[in-house]
Amino acid sequence: MTTIAVAIDGTEASAAALVFAVDKARLEEARLHGVFVLDTGWADFIGNDWQSSRNARQGFLDYVRGELEKQSERARRQFVGATADWPNSSFTTLPGDPAEALAGLMGRGEADAMVLGEAVYRTCGRPSVKNLAKQLKKVVRQPLFVL
Amino acid sequence: MTSESPGFFQQLPKALPGLALIVITMVVIRLWIEPWMKGAVILGQKGWLINVFHLNYILLGIIMGLLYRNVIFGGKLPDIFADGFKLSRLFIKTGIILLGSLYTVQAIIKLGSMAIFLIGGFVVLSIIMVLWLGKLLGMDRSMTGVMANACSICGVSAAVATAPAVEAKPAHVAYAIATILGFGILTMFISPFIGHALGLNDLQYGAWVGTGILNSGQVLAACLAFNPNVAPGTAVSVGEIWNIMRVIAIPFAVFAVTIWYWSGQEQPEGSRKSLGTLLVEKFPVFVLGFLGMVLLTSIGAFGDAGIKGGPPASDTIKMIRDWMQWIFGIGLVGMGGYIDFKELAQAGGTPLKVGLLVGTTKYVLALVVVLIIRDHLVEI
Repeated sequence: MTTIAVAIDGTEASAAALVFAVDKARLEEARLHGVFVLDTGWADFIGNDWQSSRNARQGFLDYVRGELEKQSERARRQFVGATADWPNSSFTTLPGDPAEALAGLMGRGEADAMVLGEAVYRTCGRPSVKNLAKQLKKVVRQPLFVL
Repeated sequence: MTSESPGFFQQLPKALPGLALIVITMVVIRLWIEPWMKGAVILGQKGWLINVFHLNYILLGIIMGLLYRNVIFGGKLPDIFADGFKLSRLFIKTGIILLGSLYTVQAIIKLGSMAIFLIGGFVVLSIIMVLWLGKLLGMDRSMTGVMANACSICGVSAAVATAPAVEAKPAHVAYAIATILGFGILTMFISPFIGHALGLNDLQYGAWVGTGILNSGQVLAACLAFNPNVAPGTAVSVGEIWNIMRVIAIPFAVFAVTIWYWSGQEQPEGSRKSLGTLLVEKFPVFVLGFLGMVLLTSIGAFGDAGIKGGPPASDTIKMIRDWMQWIFGIGLVGMGGYIDFKELAQAGGTPLKVGLLVGTTKYVLALVVVLIIRDHLVEI
């Protein structure tokens, strides 16, 4: 294993997965890649809301984006804190649907394994992220560790 | 995510494939499927699908939209069609503006003054119920604020308008929206059955669903599913007046809930918004278009409006009403395409409990009230 990806969101929901991933990376002497997905599906999620004014709709989408950016920063700090003594690591924020973005990352062979907490992204995601691990299990061919 | 689409004409080329799919769907439904259903003999009964399931082009259009997204395209609209479905929102807005041709100013005053009491009463009742249940079930304060407006006014639009003002967490808003949409879709499909079973007329039915259904898109669909005709006195002409009263209330309700939310707390510098600012930001501009249309109809700009007791509708008015049927049909296929079952299926927790309790109470109570005052409802 040369690269391990870990999905993190800066909350308790990804704390155990991050500890597991750091240990695994040390054991395998692998590069650790932290990922936060900035969910771009919100406009679609409220898509049929035809009667909101343009300002109200755009104001809401800007607000959600701001909240997700704050969450991304929390995730980055969480990752930097957990990998302080493991320099072979990097952190990325990916835009997209959480399941599609993580599956895409694995599909492109950017990591050899993925670690994620069962409840990751739930504090900032749409209801369908409840099924994130289940969706990834269906499409990811590499080892997937769900904690 | 945050950059909303550019102007209509810039979007149009990319939207054409999706729009073509929606328009073709509606053409097939209206020109072939609906006439076939009228004549088809099933279980020995002619028109069984219409008589038993009350299927019409509106319901079929929404069902086809649902099928496109959730079955045929496997849960996500393909990029090639996505922009067209997005643009279908404009069709519904245009339809609502044209709906102004069903009323004169006098009719609006008659209907509106009746609606204001029912809507006002139910808005206040729903807000109180959500605040009480939110406290009882230990729901997060910001989520309670979002649910209060979403359940009392007009669902998703109210949730979207309220969330930034009460600093709601995105996940909370998502659960509120999923709950409201789920309940709205259920009531959209069952209301026509209940309405027909109870023998409600268009006025009674429009007043009921206009008050009782949580989300505005579903009010429109439920009215047209009950009676697809667009004319003065039909379900849609009544339900939409109720709906517009609710929509107009959005900025005021956001203002009230914001005051409630920040009471006893230090509101961050610069985040306080006056009622005037909220009106500019949140007021749905299409309502002005609708009122403009009412005014033009009242002064006879399109000829006789065909209001009950007056001369028959002019050819121009008849043509506008024919267009509206197509416009709403096309818009509602698009609306169906935005209903994502994988999101709705994951709704749960306290917002679902509160949404179901308040939504069901409102839905049933509105029916009871309409049945009690049915003889006093004003016809146009």
